Amino acid sequence: MDDETRARDYEEAVPGAATTGGPAIGKDEWVARSGERRSRRGGILGKLDERLAVVPWWTWLALFAAVVALLPVGFESGYVRRIAFDTLIYVLLALGLNVVVGWGGLLDLGYVAFFGVGAYTYAIVSSDKFDIHLPFVLSLPLAAIVGAVVGLLVGLPSRRLSGDYLAIVTLFFFQIFLTVSNNSDSIGGRDIAGGPNGLINIDPLSIFGHELKTSTDGIFNVAYLYVALVMFLVVYVALRLVDDSRTGRAWRSLREDPLAAEMMGMPVNWLKLLAFSFGAGVAALSGTLATALNGSVFPQTFEFPLLITVYTMVILGGAGSQAGVVIGAVSISVLLEVLREPGDARFLFYVIGLLALVTALKLSVRLAAVLGGTLALGFALHALAGSHDGAWTGGVPNGGGRLAGWVDGWVIIPKALAGWIPPASYIALICVVLGLTLVHGRLRLALLVPTLYLAAFVWENVMLVKPEPTRFVLLGAILVGVMVARPEGLLGEKRVEIV
Amino acid sequence: MDTFIQLTLNGLTLGSVYALIALGYSLVYGILKLLNFAHGDVFMVGSYVGYGALQALGGSANPKVPLWLLLVLITLAAMVACALLGVAIERFAYRPLRNAPRIAPLISALGVSFFLAYSVQLMFGAQQRDYDAFSLGEGTLFFSGFDIGNVRIPLLRIIIIVSAFVLMVALWLLVTKTRIGKAMRATSYDREAAAMMGINIDRVIVFAFVLGSALAGAAGVMFALRAPTAATIGFIAGLKGFTAAVIGGIGSIPGAMAGGLILGLAEAFTQGYISTRWSDLLVFVLLITFMLFRPQGLFGKPDIKKV
Amino acid sequence: MKRAIVLALGTLGAMLMASTAVAQPTAVAATGTQQAVVSCKSTLKIALVTPLTGGAGFLGNAQLSWAKYAVKTLAPKYKLKVRLITGDTPVEQGPAPAQALAQKYVADKTVMAVIGPATSGAVAATSQTYFKAGLAHISPSATRTSLTQGAVKEATPAFFRVVGGDYIQGPSDAKFMVEKLKVTKVAIIDFQEPYSVGLADAAQSYLKAKGVSVTRESTSVKTTDFSSLVTKVPNDAQIVFFPTQQPEDAQTFGQQLLEQGKRAKVFGGDGSNSPDKFKLAGSYVSNFAPDISGFAYNKALIAGWKKANPKSGLESFGPPTYGAVQVALNAMSKACAKGKGTIKDRRDVVRSVKSIRVKNWILGGDFRFSTRTNDPLNARFYIFQIQSNGSYKLVG
Repeated sequence: MDDETRARDYEEAVPGAATTGGPAIGKDEWVARSGERRSRRGGILGKLDERLAVVPWWTWLALFAAVVALLPVGFESGYVRRIAFDTLIYVLLALGLNVVVGWGGLLDLGYVAFFGVGAYTYAIVSSDKFDIHLPFVLSLPLAAIVGAVVGLLVGLPSRRLSGDYLAIVTLFFFQIFLTVSNNSDSIGGRDIAGGPNGLINIDPLSIFGHELKTSTDGIFNVAYLYVALVMFLVVYVALRLVDDSRTGRAWRSLREDPLAAEMMGMPVNWLKLLAFSFGAGVAALSGTLATALNGSVFPQTFEFPLLITVYTMVILGGAGSQAGVVIGAVSISVLLEVLREPGDARFLFYVIGLLALVTALKLSVRLAAVLGGTLALGFALHALAGSHDGAWTGGVPNGGGRLAGWVDGWVIIPKALAGWIPPASYIALICVVLGLTLVHGRLRLALLVPTLYLAAFVWENVMLVKPEPTRFVLLGAILVGVMVARPEGLLGEKRVEIV
Repeated sequence: MDTFIQLTLNGLTLGSVYALIALGYSLVYGILKLLNFAHGDVFMVGSYVGYGALQALGGSANPKVPLWLLLVLITLAAMVACALLGVAIERFAYRPLRNAPRIAPLISALGVSFFLAYSVQLMFGAQQRDYDAFSLGEGTLFFSGFDIGNVRIPLLRIIIIVSAFVLMVALWLLVTKTRIGKAMRATSYDREAAAMMGINIDRVIVFAFVLGSALAGAAGVMFALRAPTAATIGFIAGLKGFTAAVIGGIGSIPGAMAGGLILGLAEAFTQGYISTRWSDLLVFVLLITFMLFRPQGLFGKPDIKKV
Repeated sequence: MKRAIVLALGTLGAMLMASTAVAQPTAVAATGTQQAVVSCKSTLKIALVTPLTGGAGFLGNAQLSWAKYAVKTLAPKYKLKVRLITGDTPVEQGPAPAQALAQKYVADKTVMAVIGPATSGAVAATSQTYFKAGLAHISPSATRTSLTQGAVKEATPAFFRVVGGDYIQGPSDAKFMVEKLKVTKVAIIDFQEPYSVGLADAAQSYLKAKGVSVTRESTSVKTTDFSSLVTKVPNDAQIVFFPTQQPEDAQTFGQQLLEQGKRAKVFGGDGSNSPDKFKLAGSYVSNFAPDISGFAYNKALIAGWKKANPKSGLESFGPPTYGAVQVALNAMSKACAKGKGTIKDRRDVVRSVKSIRVKNWILGGDFRFSTRTNDPLNARFYIFQIQSNGSYKLVG
């Protein structure tokens, strides 16, 4: 932003600021009137915004905790409870990564290795492998400390290596961790941690001598959900306090401009190390809990896909914002589960598509035109294809579900798909979507109609047929899409790079 | 002695593929200061395009064209497709983030990498693809060649090493002798100053992506001629290429070549003489130590920050 | 900003609705041991638990194609309406997804049997859950010995497998090398994943006991270039035991042995059994079945599968899945007969599995479980040598 536009913005935001009264002595105009510079939306929504903005953070936290705590009342299925537990583990992981990426502004590509360090530490001190069975109150802090110390050691090179080199060093550390854990069955000829076969029969949590069974009659023991919830609350509040402290402010300044921070006399290296260690400690902490419930640990768990999943959570929610990260982690975790079932995935796809259209076009004539056009195009093409050859529309939507009947009459689902159609239509869809971002106005609106139909075709014929890779394709797309369209994520603060 | 020669040959073959991948990292880093993590997956896509082209030309059992033309055609197909892919990645995933904080394009790159790997799996499945170069010309590629001592240097390896070398020299000439090369070097010294001198920065950046990705495509074919490819190989190949670029000094073209060969040889020798089990570990530990003492790599210049 | 939040909240709402849809049929009857009576006329579910994405995705996808085909063709024969559902457990995500899926299938009372888990680690991590809920899980590919044998069994009595474990394959391969091939020097390579480490260990201990000189190498499953491993194979080794899960890798390794002038032959396990992909003359392959296309009664079966999967080759990990589905359907129909048109308790399915016998088993002969363990009776391994025309010839 150049000075001229900045001045114009200021003039618009604070009408008459330049003329009224002049500068007051002992008072920083710019700071004092910061509230006036924020754009507000009008009407009822604006009022709502204002009201929500003054609600203190712990209210939201309490609300979230209450929902999670009451979840088992509404859902008796062990599956839902288990997913809630896994989601909390993801939330913990995302909170830890947020310290490194969101607050420290450091790219840590070895993050899940610390999760692994915690998991292995817990496994080794609570299994028959070396016949050590520490109580949970000891093994938990032990794992967190080991994680933090390893984090410190890995972070040490970053004292000398700036910027991108940290990403490189952490990536190498990640590989070293994988190699060591995969070969842990023959370190100097000794079996330390089982190598590729991992460690099994790991103790469940024991709290003050009372062992917490992982399941009763095979159904997930809901106590673990509450343990995870308590741990989440503790970590969330602790991190929140850190964020409000001197260190938290120092991290923010470090992230915005390390050079300026250093000139202000901040111990930049120490702060970086601290952020790193904090993140590593939280990751290790979540590792213990996951391992205690899983009862086993395998080296293959701590791989690249997990790293990407956690990154997507942080980025989608908004790096730097704790609440955002929690929302991001919950959304992604639930999304990945819902996408397992083609029927549910279908429902989600059309609902999100509709919502996205409504938010983008508002309730307008354009929306009606696009929706009507897409529907008409679909029915026309479907009828055309059906009358030409019955087999072209003879397929069945994969997985059923609530929209399957409607989809069957609207999207062309051939009985047998020629081998070249899936890749061709998929690549075409990507090209068209990317192309749409380049055109504007009427043309974009007109092109939107066939694009939407093509998307539905690909969704039904390619992606829902293989829901498994689709889940991960979507993760990658979300990561890039959020980064490009809205780098601050859902709840993050917009950052302006000062050049 | 024979073992030594054989291991050197292994290291050179592997190293020239690494070097080609490393060049892509270095070109882009030199100009954009961006670690393009998606590069390994461009390499993977290249090997798939080459496979598709090979099948379109009749497959390795009874190809429709002579052997040399076949190899040239599939390599060209992969290079062109990857160049297009590189341009698209730059245009849609990196350009919007050019003035964003440093970390933003890196994360975007991670996303692209994941997206490409799983898109290929979505379209073509999870099983490996084998070029079956062994059957090409009834084994000519594997068995004709010349001998050093008792070690046979097979034709395929000669082709890979020589063509990688030729590509690298061509790139070197392009960067040092041509106008666009000059523009690239100027941009990498100082982007803003170059822009003020009337250099079209966007064009230079796109060109760097075209070159880097095309080289990755060629590397993908060369790799897949010797080993089966799969949708998941991008990450590890990218990691190796990237490591090579770092050894040589990221941003430096001769550095990337040297780094690739050094990494290839280091891998071959640690596997051959020390341990197959721990070779990866040794390589990475060596590297971290090396970076502690010489973070700018072999050929890089120390990073002096302009304020 | 606000727009995005509205979108996010809407999305969350939609997800919640969708996830209640998942939970709905189950929430009603999911209280512990209480069993829902399920009519055999309704649509029953079979769940396939296997890695469909990630590094081991090839294995899961081969299994999926056979499971789909088996359900489509066999369910009508048993007069059952069956829907196959899939649970993806990428090896890169560890035991957590397998355990979450186990909770899901246990809670869903229409799931009558689980095919899988495909990997031994996932079996060990989930067998307790399935057992407590009385859900039969029949794996077509988990071969770790300690699942069903030894002092501490990792799997429960509700776990069955239709292929023999490593305790058969490793030693029988080694025995063949010693007795038929009269080897004196063998190189063994493992890939640092459970399948190959298990097999390599089993073969190595047998060979060592017989006084054969063994060199053991170990490399990451992500290794893409084998040439230095090939260089390390001793010139006078007769056999390289190469228990990979990917036939293409065995083929490449064999070619590189030739390229470097080594005289050793590749000896692959069932993971490399694929006449389409591993066809290097002189190599050996062991498999739990003789060539399944050699049985007359399999002709129509294989032709039908080929028609449904025109681009895929007949590989090792797929056909046992067909057998596992066959066993599961058979047990379900028996349980139905016992409950007079209903399945009162899924334990009835578990009870019937053990006594299932299948004539004209897809892998050859007649199938039944051993009386002592939940392994197939008389499981043995067949050893083939690849001929110069690429065909597999039974040699042991």
